[in-house]
Parts: sequence; structure tokens; C-alpha cells
Amino acid sequence: MRGYSDAPLLATAESSPWLLARRSISDGRFAVLVLFLPPALLLFTLFVVLPIGEAAWYSGFNWNGFGRPTAWIGLDNYRFVLETHAFWLALRNNGLIIAVSLLIQLPLALTLALILAERFRGVVALRMLFFLPYILAEIATGLIFSFVYDGDYGLVASIWHWFGAEAPHLLANTQTAMVAVLIVIVWKYFGFHMMLYIAALQGMDRSLIEAARIDGATRPQLLRYVVIPTLYPTIRLSVFFSIVGSLQLFDLVMPLTRGGPADSSNTLVTFLYNNGISRMRVGYGSAIGVILFVICVTFAFTYKRWFMRDE
Amino acid sequence: MNDVETSRPQLDPAVLYKALFLAVVATFVLVPLLATVLGGFKSLGELRVNPFGLPHRWEWSNYADILFSGRYWQLLRNSLIISTLTVTLTLIVASMAAFTFAHVTFFGSSMLLSYLTLGLLFPAATAVLPLFIKVRDLGLLDSYFGVVLPQVAFSLAMSILLLRRFFKDLPHELLEAALVDGCTYINFFRYVTLPLSRPILATVGTITFVNSWNSYLLPLVMLNTDDLYPWPLGIMVYQGEYSSEWSLILAFITLTILPTIILFIFAQKHIVAGLTAGAVKG
Amino acid sequence: MGLLKRLLLVATGLILAVGAAAADTTVKWLHIEANPAQVKIWEEVARAYEAAHPGVRIEMQFLENEAYKAKLPTILQSKDRPHIIYSWAGGVLKAQIEAGVLEDITDQVKGYSDTITPAALAAFTQNGRVYGLPIALSQVGFLYNKELVAKANVDPAKIKTWDDLLAAVKALKAAGLTPIVVGGADKWPLHFYWTHLAVRIGGRAAFDAALRGENGGFEGETFQKSGELFKQLVDLQPFQNGFLGFKNPQAVGYFGDGKAAMTLAISTVYHLQRALAADKVGLGEDKIGWFDFPVVPGGKGEPTDTLGGITGWLITKGAPKEATDFLEFFISKDVQTKLATGNFLIPVVKGAEVGLNNAFMKQIADNLAKSNYHQNFYDQSLGPSVGRVVNDVTAEIAGGSMTPQQAATAIQAAWKQGN
Repeated sequence: MRGYSDAPLLATAESSPWLLARRSISDGRFAVLVLFLPPALLLFTLFVVLPIGEAAWYSGFNWNGFGRPTAWIGLDNYRFVLETHAFWLALRNNGLIIAVSLLIQLPLALTLALILAERFRGVVALRMLFFLPYILAEIATGLIFSFVYDGDYGLVASIWHWFGAEAPHLLANTQTAMVAVLIVIVWKYFGFHMMLYIAALQGMDRSLIEAARIDGATRPQLLRYVVIPTLYPTIRLSVFFSIVGSLQLFDLVMPLTRGGPADSSNTLVTFLYNNGISRMRVGYGSAIGVILFVICVTFAFTYKRWFMRDE
Repeated sequence: MNDVETSRPQLDPAVLYKALFLAVVATFVLVPLLATVLGGFKSLGELRVNPFGLPHRWEWSNYADILFSGRYWQLLRNSLIISTLTVTLTLIVASMAAFTFAHVTFFGSSMLLSYLTLGLLFPAATAVLPLFIKVRDLGLLDSYFGVVLPQVAFSLAMSILLLRRFFKDLPHELLEAALVDGCTYINFFRYVTLPLSRPILATVGTITFVNSWNSYLLPLVMLNTDDLYPWPLGIMVYQGEYSSEWSLILAFITLTILPTIILFIFAQKHIVAGLTAGAVKG
Repeated sequence: MGLLKRLLLVATGLILAVGAAAADTTVKWLHIEANPAQVKIWEEVARAYEAAHPGVRIEMQFLENEAYKAKLPTILQSKDRPHIIYSWAGGVLKAQIEAGVLEDITDQVKGYSDTITPAALAAFTQNGRVYGLPIALSQVGFLYNKELVAKANVDPAKIKTWDDLLAAVKALKAAGLTPIVVGGADKWPLHFYWTHLAVRIGGRAAFDAALRGENGGFEGETFQKSGELFKQLVDLQPFQNGFLGFKNPQAVGYFGDGKAAMTLAISTVYHLQRALAADKVGLGEDKIGWFDFPVVPGGKGEPTDTLGGITGWLITKGAPKEATDFLEFFISKDVQTKLATGNFLIPVVKGAEVGLNNAFMKQIADNLAKSNYHQNFYDQSLGPSVGRVVNDVTAEIAGGSMTPQQAATAIQAAWKQGN
């Protein structure tokens, strides 16, 4: 029997529209619809949806942000972006970040989760310790590591000094800057993924493991054929967040390198900031934004379609 | 899950490897943090020769100077105002919308829900330029609301989805009974749904608060007067001013992440649950 | 209500209203001066003005050089923008005028403007309208540490050509010293090399031609050659370890600490390095020397050509009249003479040069007076967008990720894209 609360506002064959309307006004459903929904829709449309549309619009102009855009240049901004060396560097870097996240960070998180999903003295403290980097602001993390990597006063430098050599300035070298940034990224995010896996492991059905044990499975076999398959949904989720997060990286890079040296550690967002906002090239910056949007949405749709079909 | 072991007093090598591995990772995490905290207690000269260890002479002046300057507290105050406003508005607006989606079936509701889910697909960064123009046109540049409103807007999608799931999971019978008694939907929302939703509200509130507290790009673009800067902007200005005086900068960093760490120690379970639940249910 | 009470109310209201109108006008002043000694004098001037003009408050705000350049476009969009902002004139000023964010103060400064050196004032005038006032002139050249160059047996007086400079760098390296310090992270200190080479190789003619798009614009021969010569220097690895990570204040401090032999910098660094050195003392007068940027044999530029800045202050649109008034007070003969005496700047007010009591400063003033072609910093004169591209590409040449050819092409492409 359909519940009273599910009665739709639309007319059905069962009751007259007049009765329905009267009922929905008297029980306040109509009021809820009219009062409760618009604020969210208004805010969302105004500050999330419209700006993306406007980005597409502004990207067709050569505009410095003052007054209204007047110099229409069609798709030229996109051409300029694609012609800019720094854009491809940024794209490459985002790719590197994704690769490192998937190939280094996630396995690390998984390994730790397998160890720390058990119960033993101090496990909670360890879990919290490893989760701590995740809750620190990216900007603070970036600053802390700009100290760690500093060529004169940093922790890395002092190891070199100990051996009597002059320390390399890792963040000032186009070859090593990005690598240094990647290490910070692993440091910051592995704890989050670890907690996801721990939650999944703890919610796992123990009887499966017991059954496999009884059948004589060894630990490695258990892992490969029972534990990890059960974790697939969580791993898929973890990968999703890794990639989405990687595309947005900004706060972490700014204190470390500002995207430098010579654009070698730019991400798409720092590239957008340095070129769009710092120079108020609104059209050009919007084009970058649109490209980033297309990448994000394409990824989200493709991923959801192919990998998360059962979600 | 332990196998039944024969009496073997030696250490299982697997345990040793595990312990070693954990120790390495723990060091990896702790060393930068400890060095930062301790660095603030050292003079610049000592920092150069003794970056890892305990300070030979505890320089209290670095920390004291910052704590006693108005600047530090102004930064925290601004962050608190912005974050609290964001959380309050988000909770109010999102719970109202989520309630509507959960209990009122209307034409187009699933379309609207998909519309909102769009917001999960792309970060604020992609639209930051037009957002800047819009905030400027609304006259909200250099004001708290210029930061708060976009932050609220971007947290709506996740919040509404989480809240809606929770509201739907509440027992039907409550609403039915209330309606039979002549209760309006709005009153039901106020007197039944909200009180019962404390856990999910706390979760959403936590996620929103942490994201707002740590946020850098949005305030960077929207705020230009340093009176209004939240601590992430303030810390970068400080670093710009004192570029190589690392002991000062490290002290400042420590003091600005202290609120987060304290909050984390006292509300661990909540924060972890919040941040991971957000991921899983989203 | 009785008549008396009503009158009392009205009176109170009037008094409050008048009181509110007589309340403080705040003039917001955004500056980038990193030298505390100079800021102190500025603060004294501000307080003196406030004392002479009750009801006016001068509020000073500081942003570091590079942070200022990055944030200025967004700052100017806000309705709370500062009233007085720092400027290097050039194309950036032009863009700001066209965007309509500046106040036309021609009428307000009539009469006063005659006290300023015409060339300096011209930098802040467009189409006969004045938008700001200059405060100082500066020149870019090589500052050197006398002790360190002596150790390598290098005599800066003999460095006349580009090849002489390269030889000096090699000698310094052989002696185990750091030849040059530069703030590569901020990029603009690197672009001095490239642009000064362009000034030497092509002179004013090449720059003007490029602006007109002739001779291949910025892809032309002059600019290709500048890049190539710069690359010659870069290949010698003359800079301090990690130079691409050094922000300019750090680099200046490094020089003041006596860790590098030379630095190509704005003449104001002569004084600034004292404030930014670790011991806050830096290199004394007798320890510092100056030599002009070397000539390039066969170059069309004159040896007297100078690269440098005409810097000053702009008034933003909607600023109160007191802002311009204060600026006139600030850029007056007295204050300028005082600052010149302190060797903080080369003044722009006629007659204030008498304050220069230092051989170094007098020499710079001399150079500037003799110069027929004073090229403004490229990253400012070419406009906000193209200027930053010049910085980007020189940093990339220095970092080895771009060839001189690619750099020139990038600048020309940016120039064509316009601001």
C-alpha cells in the first residue's frame, strides 16, 4: 500500500486533482516546495552553473576584465592556450600526479590498511597519525615542505651538509621540482585512502575468509582472491577521488614553487591562476577553465559508465 | 584471525618487517611536522646547523611575538567568521532542499537532482574567473560574503545528496503519523527531522567547515584587503615579508595549524567519519 | 512634544551630521618598499601631512614587488581599492588608463607639475592628461663586491664589452667564487640581461621598429641575438646554486651578505642590500662598486643608453582629493632632497639633486642625465601580458628549457595576441 507521505502532487486516476491540491496545500507540502527548494537552486545556479556558462562565453573574447567584453576573437583563445608551451607542461604534470597517485600512493595506502585494519596496541594512534596530513590545509603543507626542501636551511639540505657537500636546491631545478611536489602529494593524501580501505576491510564479511582458510588458502592467496576483490568498489572510489583531486591541485603547489621554476611544476589550475587571474586575461583564463571542465566532466562520465556500473 | 601457533618464542619475521615498515612511514609523516614545530623555537643560526633535534636554546620570542601580535588573532577571527557563516548557510539551505527532495515528489525532481549532481563533477577552480567577475559585479568583492556564498554554492551538491539519503532512511511511519495528526511538513522538518539528523548534520558540518577553514584559492581571488584575510592568505603574506627568516615562518605555520590539530585530537572519530563518509556516500 | 524639545532634537541631529561630515578621510596608500629605513621616512612624511591637515588619515599598506604585480589586476577591480598605487609607467600604465581605473589629475596638479623634471612627468602623462606623479629614476647596471672581485684578479673598470664580462665570470668561477647572484624565482631580475642586451644590440631604433611590427617584430635579429648572448652567459653557469628558487629579496640579501661577486640590479639595490642582509648591515660604501652594462661590439646601441625605471605613484579613480594633495606634499623639493641625501633615490623634483652626497648616486644621476635613450623595464613597458611573457621566456632560457629562438617567437606571438 502506498504510504500517505508518498502521495504525489500530480493527479492520478485515484483522486481528483482538486482534492490533491487542497491536501498538498493544507499539509504544507506546497509550502515546502516553494520555500525550501529555491534558495539552494538559486545559489547553485548563480555561483556554480552560470559561471561555467559564462566561462564558455568569456573565452571567446580578448578581455582584461574591466567593463564588458568587447573584442570577440572566437576560438582564438583556445588556439593560444594550445600553442602555449606551459599549458602542455601543466597537462603533463597533472598526468604525472595521477600516475603517481595510482601507482605509488594507492598501493602504499592499501598495504598500510591491510596492516592497520587489525586490532593491536597503538593501532588507532597510528591510523590517526597517518590521517593527520590529510586534514592539514594544503597551503600549510606546501609551506612546511618548502622549508623541508630549502637549499640552505631545509631538512634535505642538512643531510647534504652532514656529508660536507653543498645541498641541491630541489625546488629551483626544473628537473627535480616536480618530483619534489609529487613526494609532498603522496605524503598528504595516502592517509585518506588508507582510511577508506580500513573502513572497507573492517566491514568485510569474515565468513568468506574463514571459508577460504578452511579450504587451505595461504595468506597471499587469501589476499589475491578474497580480500582485494571485495575491496574493488572501494578501490574504484579511491581511484576516482585520486584523479579528481589531482586535477584540482593548486594550494599545495603555490607555496612550493608557484608553478616554477620556468613552469616546470605547473598544474592546470596554477597555470590558470598565473595566466588568467594574475594577468587578468579573462578570455584566455576562461578558455583554460573550459578545457579543465571538459576534462573533468569527460573523466567523470567515462569513469562512472565503465567502472562503476553497479553503483 | 591468528593461526594457532606452536610454542615458538622467536619473533615472526613478518611482524618485524611490518613494524619496520610502519616505523619508516611514521618517520616520513612525523619528521616534517616535528621539525616545523621545533623550528619555531630555534634561532635562525641554530636552525641551519641543528634542524632535526631539540633546540639547544629555547627561543620563546618567536612564538610569543606572534601570539601577542594582533595579526595572528585577526587571521583566525576572519577564518572563523568565514567558515562559520559557510557552515551555517550550507546546513540551512542544504537541509531544506534535501528535505524537499526526500519527501516531496514533484514533476522534475529527479531532473533537478541530476542538475545538482553536476556540481560534483568539476572543481571551483574551473569557474574561478567568471566567479570573480560575478562577485565583483554583485559588489561582494573584498567582503566575507564574496567568499562565503560561492563556498556554500559549491558544497551544496555533496551536502544535499548526503542529507537526502539520511532523511529518506528515517522511518516512514514518523511522517505518516505526524501528517495524520495534522502536522504540516514544515513543522515536521523543524521538530522531527532536524533533531533526529544530528549525526548527519554534524558530518556535513564538519566536512564543510574543514574545507572552508583550509581554503586558499577562493579567498585569494576574492579578497584584497589584508584586514579580511583568513589564515591561509595571511600565512603567505607573512612568508612573503619574512622570506628567509625560517624560524619565524615555522613558528607562524605551527600556530596556524594548531587549531586544526587540536580540533582533530578532540573530534577524531567525527572528522574521519565525516571526511570518509563524504567520499563513500557521494 | 514641546517646541524646545523639538529644537533640541534638531540641533543634536545637525551636530551629529556635521560631526560625521568632518570625520576622517582615509587615504589608502599601497607601496612595495622593502627598505625599512626608507619606509620610516615615508611614515614621518605621512604623519607630518596628517598634522597639517586634521581629519585626514594616511593608511599605508605593503605588498612585496612580485606579489604586488600579481595581485594588482584583481585589486584594481575592487571598490575598496587603494587610492595611491605604485607604478613603473610604460605599457602597464597605458593599459590601466584605457581600462579607466585611474583618476585624471591634470587640473589638480597644475602649477605644481612644473617643479618636476619634464622627462619624468612625461612618463605619467598620456595625451596631455596626467594620471600620476613620478618619484624616482633608476638605472640598471652591475653592482660588484670589491673584495671578491679582487680575489679573482678581476678589474671591473676593464669590463667594457660582453666578452669581457664572460671572461670575468670565468675568472671568478675559477677562483671558486659565485660570480653572479640573481632572483630567478621572480623572473624579472633575469629579464634585465636579455633586455639590456637588446638595448645594446639594437638601440632605440630596434625597439621602436619592433613595436611597429617591422623587421619581424620581436622575432627580429636584435632579439634573437640577445637571447643567444644571454645563453652564452647562462652556459657558463654564473649564478648562485638554486638561483631559480631565489626570490629577489633573498638574492639582494645574498649579495649584501657578501656571498656573490656581482649582481645586475636596479641602482636602488645599492641601499636595499643593507636592509636585506642577514646582519642588517650589508656591504659598506667602500666595499661596493658599479659598472655599466657592457657594450656589444657591432651593436647599434649607444654606450650611454640606459635601462631602468621611471617610477612613481598613480591615483585611482574615485580617490579623494586629499590623495593627490598628499602626493604633491610627498613629492616635494624638501622630501625629495631628504630622500636624496639618504641616498635612497634619484629625485625627480628639480633642484633636489643637490641632496645627493654620495659618489655612487651622483654617478647614476649623471648617467641618466647623459642618456638619450632611457628604456623602461620591458616587463612594464610592453604591457601587462606581453611583459610577463618576456619574464617567462628569459627564465626559461636561464633554466635551459627554451632556446633563444623559441623565446623570441613566444614574445612576438604574445605581442600579436595583444594585451
